[in-house]
Amino acid sequence: MSPTILTALNLHKAYGPIQAVRGVDLHIQRGEIFGLLGPNGAGKTTLLHMLTGLIPPDQGEILFNGHLFTPEAMSLKATIGLVPQELALYPTLSAWDNLIFFGRIYGLRGRTLRHRVEAVLDLVSLRDRARDPIQTYSGGMKRRINIAAGLLHQPDILFLDEPTVGVDPQSRNAIFEAVEALNREGLTILYTTHYMEEAQRLCHRVAIMDEGRIIALDTPRRLIQEMGEGFIRVGVPADQQQAFVQHITPLMGVHDVIRQDGHLLVRLQEPLRTLPAIFQIATTHRIPITTLQILEPDLETVFLQLTGKALRE
Amino acid sequence: MNLAASIAQIWALTQKDLKILLRDRTGMIVLFAMPIMFILVMSVALQGMFDVGSADHPVKLLVVNLDQGALYLNQEEMHLGQAIVDALDGFDGLDIVTEIDGQPLTRERAEALIADGTYAMALVLPPDLTQQVIDAVSGSAPPAPITVTFITDPGASSQLTAPVLAASAATMNRTVAYAQAPYRIRLALEHAAAELPPEQRAWVAPIAKALIAELTTTYNLGDIGGESEIRIETETPASFQVEQLPTAVEQNVPGYAIFGVFFIVGVLASSILNEKETGTFRRLMAAPLPRSVLLLGKLLPYYLVNVIQVALMFAIGRLIFGMNLGHSPAAWLMITLATAATATGLGLLVAALGKTESQISGIATLLALTLAAIGGMMVPTFAMPPFMQQLAKISPHYWALQGYQDVIVRGLGWQAVLPETGVLLAFAVTFYAFAVWKFRFE
Repeated sequence: MSPTILTALNLHKAYGPIQAVRGVDLHIQRGEIFGLLGPNGAGKTTLLHMLTGLIPPDQGEILFNGHLFTPEAMSLKATIGLVPQELALYPTLSAWDNLIFFGRIYGLRGRTLRHRVEAVLDLVSLRDRARDPIQTYSGGMKRRINIAAGLLHQPDILFLDEPTVGVDPQSRNAIFEAVEALNREGLTILYTTHYMEEAQRLCHRVAIMDEGRIIALDTPRRLIQEMGEGFIRVGVPADQQQAFVQHITPLMGVHDVIRQDGHLLVRLQEPLRTLPAIFQIATTHRIPITTLQILEPDLETVFLQLTGKALRE
Repeated sequence: MNLAASIAQIWALTQKDLKILLRDRTGMIVLFAMPIMFILVMSVALQGMFDVGSADHPVKLLVVNLDQGALYLNQEEMHLGQAIVDALDGFDGLDIVTEIDGQPLTRERAEALIADGTYAMALVLPPDLTQQVIDAVSGSAPPAPITVTFITDPGASSQLTAPVLAASAATMNRTVAYAQAPYRIRLALEHAAAELPPEQRAWVAPIAKALIAELTTTYNLGDIGGESEIRIETETPASFQVEQLPTAVEQNVPGYAIFGVFFIVGVLASSILNEKETGTFRRLMAAPLPRSVLLLGKLLPYYLVNVIQVALMFAIGRLIFGMNLGHSPAAWLMITLATAATATGLGLLVAALGKTESQISGIATLLALTLAAIGGMMVPTFAMPPFMQQLAKISPHYWALQGYQDVIVRGLGWQAVLPETGVLLAFAVTFYAFAVWKFRFE
């Protein structure tokens, strides 16, 4: 097992009466891509802000390479890179000027700085547009420069906060490839997202957050294997949903039923075996099934199973 | 984090914001073109716009009446000084002040009151005014002009002082003409009598005596005009080192420059809000960059822009209008640096208080216009009602203007602007302290 680069112990953070993070423990291994999954309001951003020194925890501690990390620990801050969810760039300046500026903030100078700027521009495939103002870029190009700015100082760990929000498919792929290339070179990455397919593709391990807590943490494959039961999404007229739920709940293999967006999400042990019985009940009780969708087990269904909520809520 | 690294970071932040500012043409127009326009156009276009001197807003004129009077033809004492004071008091637009705290004004007191900005001008009537007027017409003394002194604050607008000066001159000339009329009539009768046969000359003397008595009593010295020997010399208080009275440009450029400097408040506050909203502050806070360094680096470019702004305004005044810049570059620099510190401090405070662009824009515009108006940028403070004159002191604009006027129109040195510099720095420290207390990086 790789050595731990980042350890979070019993982190708590509250904003007034709202407990944003409640007792989070994390151990990020050097060289892994670690996914932090959760719906909006789960506490991901607050946790990320604590891990990057933007805000201090109310309780608990953070260790980088075994050293206590606080917002004042400047030498440790020099070893982390943050790519905020916002396009944290100066739109009237060129990509080159932006990157030169952020590089200088990290103490880079002269030829070293120019080489690093060229290297990160190559990584995000935007060297030919380097002298154009950021405001002339597409959304995806801005996202790529946003990532490049976090890499200039060659951090030990990179925090990527929802890096593909509002990005076109081409830029999304470019970002995935850049993340994978960086990781192959040994960079540790903490990747927050609410797109489960991104987490499944990129992350070695994922932690699922809900209501300020980590409710599951493992590799995506193991999480799906261990918890990934099947779901079917059934469309039934609203006035007959209650009756339908009462009839199917006693069936063998039906774990529970969740109402979501006017549909019923039925968690099943083995969907294909249980489906005929469900159809039989609908026919017997003259309840029309308007739509039916079988959801393959994935991180989305894992999350549904754990919380009863959809990841994109 | 060592000092050299911090300085390098501050410089990187400064260069970045200067670049952004240079590319923001609208911002540059607000900061530079507008005050330049004020100087070039408004100085000329708004001549005579001040409405002070009306019956509703009379101009205060100190009168130091030192005249001791003299015996007139009818052997009664005449006090021309008091007659002039009474005549001036009859003007609707003038408020004549001859006593302060129940004590008659002295020249020294009047100069001190002008030097400290309480009043703008004073008229000093000499002790032998009446005697000189009588001597001039009776021919008992060699002809010599009668000198009355008009003391003015060089910082006072000539649009204000010139009408007062003209009114004073006209009043004095008329009063003197009244006084001299009987003498002139007697001289004319004596001259006419010399032409008569000797036996008839004796009749003229009693007629002349009776006529003069009638003119001086019933008709109050008669109603006959005549040329006056009164000459008014305009001076500045002795504590000032003024070689010549300031031009309109010298009076206006500092005001417009200060007005422009405080427009940095909105630009700076918006820039900070923008950094918060776009997340660049967040990115910078995750870097090995202490928050104090981040704030310093954020403020320094705006501070530099302010200093350049003021230098440019005064350079235009000097190069285009031949404006006098005073004798003390050090004093000018002290006021400029302190004013810029106050303006950037206020900008940080507005950034700390404003949560949205519209809030910041509203607060900044309100402060820029209100503080400018209160501080005497639009109407001179001495033309304001007394309570407004006191209120002016809560505006940093007032102290900045006083400082520049000390340097440029009063010709004073760096010691003289220490109070204004101190007050401006106190404003700056207060703004920074309150801003840092309320400031949130997120």
